[in-house]
Amino acid sequence: MGEVGLNAYLMVGAVLFVCGVVCMATKRNGIGILMGVELVLNGANVNFVAFSRYTPLGLDGQTTALFVVVLAAAEAAVALAIALNFYNNHLTIDVDSGNELHG
Amino acid sequence: MDFQALLQQFLSKGVAHQASTFDSLWIFLPELVLSSSIILMLLARLTNVDRTIPTHWIALLGGMSSFMIVLYQFWQISLPDAIPVQIFTGLAMHDPFSIFFRGFLTFFLVFVIVLTVLTGIPDDEDAPDFYSLLSGAVIGMMLMSSANHLLMLFLGIEMASVPSYALTGFLKGRRQSSEAALKFVVYGAGAAGVMLFGISLLAGLLGTAEFPQLASRFQAVFAGREVMQDPAARCVLLALLMIAVGFAFKLSAVPFHFWCPDAFQGASAEVGGFLSIGSKAAAFALLVRFTLSLTGDSTGASQGLALTCGLGLGFLATLTATFGNLAAYSQRNMKRMLAYSTIAHAGYMLMAVSALLVLQSGNAGPDAAYRAIQGLLYYLCVYLFMNLGAFAIVAFIRNQTFSEEIEDYKGLSHQAPVLAIGMAICLFSLVGIPPLGGFYGKAFIFAALFDATRVHWFMWVVLVAGGVNTVISLFYYLRVAKYMCMYERPADAPAVAMPSNSSPGMYVMLLSGMVVFLGIIINPLANVALRAAHAFL
Repeated sequence: MGEVGLNAYLMVGAVLFVCGVVCMATKRNGIGILMGVELVLNGANVNFVAFSRYTPLGLDGQTTALFVVVLAAAEAAVALAIALNFYNNHLTIDVDSGNELHG
Repeated sequence: MDFQALLQQFLSKGVAHQASTFDSLWIFLPELVLSSSIILMLLARLTNVDRTIPTHWIALLGGMSSFMIVLYQFWQISLPDAIPVQIFTGLAMHDPFSIFFRGFLTFFLVFVIVLTVLTGIPDDEDAPDFYSLLSGAVIGMMLMSSANHLLMLFLGIEMASVPSYALTGFLKGRRQSSEAALKFVVYGAGAAGVMLFGISLLAGLLGTAEFPQLASRFQAVFAGREVMQDPAARCVLLALLMIAVGFAFKLSAVPFHFWCPDAFQGASAEVGGFLSIGSKAAAFALLVRFTLSLTGDSTGASQGLALTCGLGLGFLATLTATFGNLAAYSQRNMKRMLAYSTIAHAGYMLMAVSALLVLQSGNAGPDAAYRAIQGLLYYLCVYLFMNLGAFAIVAFIRNQTFSEEIEDYKGLSHQAPVLAIGMAICLFSLVGIPPLGGFYGKAFIFAALFDATRVHWFMWVVLVAGGVNTVISLFYYLRVAKYMCMYERPADAPAVAMPSNSSPGMYVMLLSGMVVFLGIIINPLANVALRAAHAFL
């Protein structure tokens, strides 16, 4: 078995990124959108780890990936709290029902 | 020593010295003081000490002492033999520019805490949460302003954003507040994800994540190649576009501004004022440092990059200022109008960054570039006072009339002249009418744009757009002043009382007084801004 090259990893990262963006753009459910965000962040993480293996980026890439994992967790916690608060006030998590602020 | 290490050594020549870990911690003291004040606030609630010592005193003490430390650091780096240093093995930069912004942000934190004490927006039960979120967001903004590494860029932005989401949704029982927070968090998380993907591409293509090496790596990789035709170069441009999405979100620049009016209308006016000034200032600091590191001395391949970035930002700035001003025109809610005005002002300040990059690409010499940065910094300082003043007055009026509609401001000058005059000063300064601070901020920026017209004709378009926008903005700001001063107060409207010797009255007078002061005595602040600008180039 030959070694898998950098491009294969970047391809996986790009596919994850596109899936995430499509998910963010099409889902109407607040939690679904947050899942799309996680996909995008993990796509970037795959890139970081791949680059740290194949380019002079080195350990910086892996450290960044670790920090991003932690940040994604923190962001998800705050976002879920906000989604819960939205549900308590609107009795739904459909982002389209947030239509009181406009103009 | 292998080739990679040799290259490393060659490329990092001429880069600032690195401080040892102990010195780094010492330089990092303002952030550490703020962090410990957060821990103290949370411990105080745990041990019920907050019943005897109100939490805002702890927050205020933390903000003030870190501001004092930053002042001391500014004095220290102004000494003749002081040199900028990189701290924490090059993750962050300690130079006059970062010190200027850390001072700006801690000073601003103190003002916001005083405002929340005067309006009483977090009640005693919620105060520890509110002030720890506020201080935490400021620490994130301080990291943004001194970031010197792509990881710190992303960490800083996220550390500033995540508490901001929670602050927006702080009025827990209100439908509008929860809607605003959800919209903000969804847009914010999406923009951060796209930005991170762009950062990963940029770091991978250039093989480094450290700001000082970005430019030399870019030139080394693309030396002698036609930048626009090269697939790898186009990939770098794509990465920069993705990073620009994240910046445009933080700055509420036009295609990514949707969250701003909704978040500001749903959040309380105090939080709106905090977001409109603090996160914008930090994002501009980061944008200036990032773009200048990326373009370096703008020779060779970097020259085209600097011009492309500069013109792109100029186009974005023109769109942002025009859209913000046009949309503000039809607003009835004061906070929403101020949100659109915030968007427009982000456009004006973006013009300064665009002028800076275009000047860099034309090799117009460092003096012109310094003036562009100086204009941006002066504008931000004036903006602190005038925008915070406007939001503070909105909050004071809301506390008495429970309304934020512009209609309900009719005839306020008869009942509370302090509020009406303070509001008029802040709004006229936002327009940029001569004896006020906003005029000189705009004048500095337009002068930099005029310098940049010698490099590229497109800057004429930006300059004219800036001038036209200033005229458009006059109308909607004047409308508020007209409602406050030209009408009688309707008989059924709730009465507003604001004696000038009450503490909210003094606060408004202090802010609007500073706006007038910065319009009359310009030199001290302009000199400080120039000294901060000298950190670059």
